[in-house]
Amino acid sequence: MIECYRLSKVYSRGVYALRDLSLTIGKGEFLFLTGPSGAGKSTFLRLVLCEEVPTDGRLVVSGRDIASLNRSEVQRYRRTIGFVFQDFRLIPRMTVFENVAFVMRVLGVPLGHRQRKTFQVLKWLGLQHRMNALPEELSGGEQQRVAIARALVNDPHIVLADEPTGNLDPDLALDVMNLFREINARGTTVVVATHDRELIRRVGRRAVTLDHGRVVEAA
Amino acid sequence: MRALRYALDEALSSLWRGRRSGFMATATIAVALFVLGGFLWIASTLDRLGAAWSQAAELSVYLDDRATSANRGAIEQALAPGDLVASFEFVSKEEAAKRFKQTFTELAGTFDSLDANPLPPSYEVRLHTAPAARARVEDLVDRLRKLAGVSDVKYDRQWVERLLAAVTIVRVIGLVLGTVLTVTASLTVASVVRLALHARREEVEIMQLVGAPLTYIRGPFVMEGLLQGGLGAAAALGALAAVFLVSRGRYLVPLAAALDLSTVSFLPVGPCLLLLGGGMAVGCLGGLVAAVGGEPKRVVTES
Repeated sequence: MIECYRLSKVYSRGVYALRDLSLTIGKGEFLFLTGPSGAGKSTFLRLVLCEEVPTDGRLVVSGRDIASLNRSEVQRYRRTIGFVFQDFRLIPRMTVFENVAFVMRVLGVPLGHRQRKTFQVLKWLGLQHRMNALPEELSGGEQQRVAIARALVNDPHIVLADEPTGNLDPDLALDVMNLFREINARGTTVVVATHDRELIRRVGRRAVTLDHGRVVEAA
Repeated sequence: MRALRYALDEALSSLWRGRRSGFMATATIAVALFVLGGFLWIASTLDRLGAAWSQAAELSVYLDDRATSANRGAIEQALAPGDLVASFEFVSKEEAAKRFKQTFTELAGTFDSLDANPLPPSYEVRLHTAPAARARVEDLVDRLRKLAGVSDVKYDRQWVERLLAAVTIVRVIGLVLGTVLTVTASLTVASVVRLALHARREEVEIMQLVGAPLTYIRGPFVMEGLLQGGLGAAAALGALAAVFLVSRGRYLVPLAAALDLSTVSFLPVGPCLLLLGGGMAVGCLGGLVAAVGGEPKRVVTES
């Protein structure tokens, strides 16, 4: 599903975010990327999301070298990926329902389908009773679940999450991880970047440790 | 169609949220187009005046009171319609007096108190408007002046040409001033739309990340500029119409009568549509500049 060969990303002044990274993530796999701050976890996710282009090496997702995609191909490619941020990035003026439906709205999905699908996802994540609430009225855990609902509503093939539990207490963090496990159980490839080793241990899935842009441990 | 609906919904809601700054942009466009429209109106009125003057008697041949019918026959022979003279009309002393009293009603009493009618009989001559014919007018004037019974010949064309030159100057001033103000208006719209874009930066980022089409990302901002431009243009036209209506009775009609212009009218439909379309285009351009220049630059792609 995601294959990278000697992948490097160099920022200005020659700072390597990733250096010669070779990694394969299979279809339907659940992978943790871990490591200290600056290890290259977020850079890897940004590369997969096509927000950045590799400086060197190849990144192949679903058989396509994503560095060669043009703008409209990038748009189509991104519609197959769901992304979850540490800081939730919900739109404050929109309700929970509107936040989740927003993705399909800007992709031109018809209203009826949009409403059915949004309700379905909110129900699955146990948020149907909060769908008219504004983000500021939600707890951190609820906000992150809304963000996950937004990432899932478009039926992505891959879900990427960058420190999704960074702002949550340990119990809520485990709840969120269980959600990711459920998502993965439905066949979606899940890649979670986190520095929380205890959480990785409790979830018990494959983990790749990065440091200074290199793989230092794979378990 | 969905993208258009989305753009319209979002633009309207953004205009409402940022109504203060939006009002500023709309007002700037309105002022720019008001000035441009004002100059257009003056230029079109002067144009009509020029056309009216061009069609009016351009050559007046004043006769001596003692001119005989033989003298008049020679003059009329010189004025025979052809490729230079379109037509001519004899205005007797009595007809001249009648016209004077109709035009200057307040002086009619004074005129009647005179011992004799001081106005000379004349011929009012209409000329062909072709440039080739105009070049030969001076020759005709010279020939008429030499004929017996002619006391004076007046050629109005110089006035018409001065008027047409004034129209050109007014038009150029209007265009220059209008262009400067329009560019300023466009920049103001761009700044206001960029503020709106900044306020919705997270939304735009999310749209980019989920692969929303450009029409969805930029559409609302372009639409916002377009609406501001359209509203500004409509306000400018409304203000021009109000000024026209208020000043028509008091100033414009008497001025038109004094200038021999049959009617005063508002801007024709063409320039009105041009102002409206121009306002929308300026707003649209401002919105597009803001949307393209202000989008978060996190997306880095190579083809």
